[in-house]
Amino acid sequence: MSAPKRPRAPMPLQGLLGMVLVVALVIVALAAPWIAPMPPNEMDLLSVLAPPDGYGSPHWLGTDALGRDVLSRLVWGARIALAVAVGGAVGAAVVGTILGLAAGALGGPVDWAISRLVDLWMSFPPVVLSLLLVVALGAGLGNVIFAIILVDWTRFCRVIRAEALVIRQQDYVSAARLIGFGRMRVILREIVPGVIPTLVTLFALEMGIAVRVEAVLSFVGMSVPADVPAWGQMIADARSSMTSAPWTILAPIGAIVAVVIGFNLLGDGLRLRFDPRLQGRS
Amino acid sequence: MTVLALRDVTVTARIAGQDIALLRRVSLDLKAGRVLAVVGESGAGKSMLGRLISRLLPDGFRVSAGSMTFEGTDLLALPADQARDLLGRRIAFIPQEPSAALDPVRSIGWQWDQHLARLRVPRGGRQARAAAALTEVGLRDPAGVLRRYPHQLSGGECQRVLIALAFSSNPSLVVADEPTTALDVTTQATIAALLRRMQEAHGTAVLFITHDLRLAREVCDDAIVMYAGDPVERGPAPALFAKPAHPYARALLLANPRLTGPRLALRPLPDTMAGPLSFAKTPGCRFAGRCPVADPACASAAPSWRSIGEGHDVACSPACSLGATSLAAPLLAGPPARGAPILTVRGLGKSYGGGWGRKLFTALEPLDLEIAPGEIVGVVGESGSGKSTLARLLVGLERPTVGSMALDGVDMTQATAANDARRRAALQMVFQNPQSALNPRRTVMELVTQSMEAAGACMAARKARAGELLRATGLSPELGDRFPFQLSGGQRQRVNIARALCAVPRILLADEIVSGLDVSVQAQLLNLLLQLRDQTGVAILLISHDLSVVRYLCDRVLVLHRGRLMESASAVDLFAKPSSDYTRALLDACPPDPPLSAEGVTA
Repeated sequence: MSAPKRPRAPMPLQGLLGMVLVVALVIVALAAPWIAPMPPNEMDLLSVLAPPDGYGSPHWLGTDALGRDVLSRLVWGARIALAVAVGGAVGAAVVGTILGLAAGALGGPVDWAISRLVDLWMSFPPVVLSLLLVVALGAGLGNVIFAIILVDWTRFCRVIRAEALVIRQQDYVSAARLIGFGRMRVILREIVPGVIPTLVTLFALEMGIAVRVEAVLSFVGMSVPADVPAWGQMIADARSSMTSAPWTILAPIGAIVAVVIGFNLLGDGLRLRFDPRLQGRS
Repeated sequence: MTVLALRDVTVTARIAGQDIALLRRVSLDLKAGRVLAVVGESGAGKSMLGRLISRLLPDGFRVSAGSMTFEGTDLLALPADQARDLLGRRIAFIPQEPSAALDPVRSIGWQWDQHLARLRVPRGGRQARAAAALTEVGLRDPAGVLRRYPHQLSGGECQRVLIALAFSSNPSLVVADEPTTALDVTTQATIAALLRRMQEAHGTAVLFITHDLRLAREVCDDAIVMYAGDPVERGPAPALFAKPAHPYARALLLANPRLTGPRLALRPLPDTMAGPLSFAKTPGCRFAGRCPVADPACASAAPSWRSIGEGHDVACSPACSLGATSLAAPLLAGPPARGAPILTVRGLGKSYGGGWGRKLFTALEPLDLEIAPGEIVGVVGESGSGKSTLARLLVGLERPTVGSMALDGVDMTQATAANDARRRAALQMVFQNPQSALNPRRTVMELVTQSMEAAGACMAARKARAGELLRATGLSPELGDRFPFQLSGGQRQRVNIARALCAVPRILLADEIVSGLDVSVQAQLLNLLLQLRDQTGVAILLISHDLSVVRYLCDRVLVLHRGRLMESASAVDLFAKPSSDYTRALLDACPPDPPLSAEGVTA
């Protein structure tokens, strides 16, 4: 071996597929103003519930009950999905990781207190908790992200704590202590690098979860204001017309499924790639 | 009658795009009632033999040439269902890890019932049959054992159960893959003796796979020595171990420290066994690269078998000047003069529990210990003897419940920051398992200079120091960029030692640092420790279960048993006239040294 590299397994196929889906979401969300064929809230009352690509009509995916272009709303809705996915996952990861590391690496009463807090937190039904939070805080994108963080940090906390506990048992952590590493340095230099693969994987999965939660909240009208297109809202709007115009409901559902599957596949792929059992094989 | 016969069996695997022979032209004959040892270090292919017989070759491995017959049946051509019928009934197996071979969620009785049902023993007779078999292997309360679960038995008891299971069908062949390796020293001896007794009583043929030369010599009738997939020497065990002819077999014998006679310096082989990827490049003798007497022809032409005695053959080039490498070895120098003790321990002990009605468990009863500069002190004991607890107390990973410790006469029992810093400067520890003691995400350079990182040294200084340390521990400085998984076990342990030496400690605590390594690598590391002591004057506290290792290195020895100090004496006295019964039992449990031929002891 001429140039030793950090141990990595190649990205498996499913991970690549997930990556393609996630990259597509990011591009669509960022380029929404240029991609979307028409403004998302423009009502074409002459072609209400137009079917997809109906005989040279400008509405590729048809229109909804108010004559709004489904494709444009879908494209703009991707912005909300991406904002929630990134904001929710980053926030939950930061809070959960810090508390999880503190619990796992310090142990003792700190671990006890944090673990009991997590137990307590997880005993609330998550959907009810997020609904309650949004009701209390008021609707709006920022509050939805805040609610997701408050509900989902426990997931990170639990997993990272368990991981840190395992690493803390390793002889190399004892060795670092004996060599004179302080507590903070042991955590940052020995434990944190070990939890990063898990963290990356969880992060990808959490983005998918955040998209789902946002869809639920906007479905019940607790998320963004009515004039901002969101996928959950599109599903809610399509309830009355879904039998006569199924495209109005299939399009947002398809988008949610594709994005969540994309995040999950990416998470699985990253997990396989970072799995230590796959490392060390030449 | 020949029970198992292999003729030129070659096992090939596809690795990194090439077909590589992991076993080359293995031939052997195992007759009824004989015990055949397959001896070799890890990577020799000895476990592959066991897997071949049990049809458990990994995916992608196949037999590319040769034949294997069991009692006249061609095992390789046998359909799967017939082979299954044979395995476990006519051919039985005794595994390496006894507690892992039993189902943890089923009672021993249930597992016996399954096995006896397979042997078509009627339901009513199974209990009695199982109890009789367990009595035969020396388990005193068979009914009680049958009721219990594997975790309620000790490792030795589990192995007895498995031996009884293996022999219960009266098989013609028993394959035992390192059956005593996972056990304590005293248990090892009794299990090996039991296996031999059962084999004799049942007239069974046993294929005994082991890395332990002493054990092979003690237990077996015949032996085959393997190196990197090649059989290199075969013959009757007494002849083979008394007069080994192949350079590798000789080196293996010389790499084992002896328990009796003068302390002779070990002569380890250079390097380690080459990995399978290099096999393709070596059409000839795979040992040629490490052989002290190889000539250029050795690496290109495969050696042929030559007879050198009654049933004693060696696969070595006919031109090889056998005997030129005499078994002679220089005597070890005595311990150096020493000064006032660095570390003084008085009445140090550790117990757990005790409060709130919990049972008090004493891991280590109070003991005294002194370590002087340049001294090598050994701590011997079986698992649960408290030897690792002692190490953890000394380095400060655990707090003692009683007693005191002093460095240079200044007390440091209290865990203050100043005491910890003094302790760190004086005492460093080398961990047992190099795999877990090295952070897999750091390079060797970062690992060996970790203590400089703690002190905030710059990168250039660390690089320079890493080079020095790697050279001092016999590693190439180029390894600095590697990650631990890219190193061999022996190299990892050297990195581990280099890291402990970085801050120039005065005492090195070595906890079982050679226990997972092959003998030839073990010999290299033992010599490295001696060399470090002679060059730097560092004192070493060596914790080990292996008496021969302790005898080779140590000036003074402490014997621990169940947390209690049984004996503390100079190494010479301890091995010549042990004063405690436990030490005597420990020494008796070791299979005796192979005899050194007359030429060996002189010089």
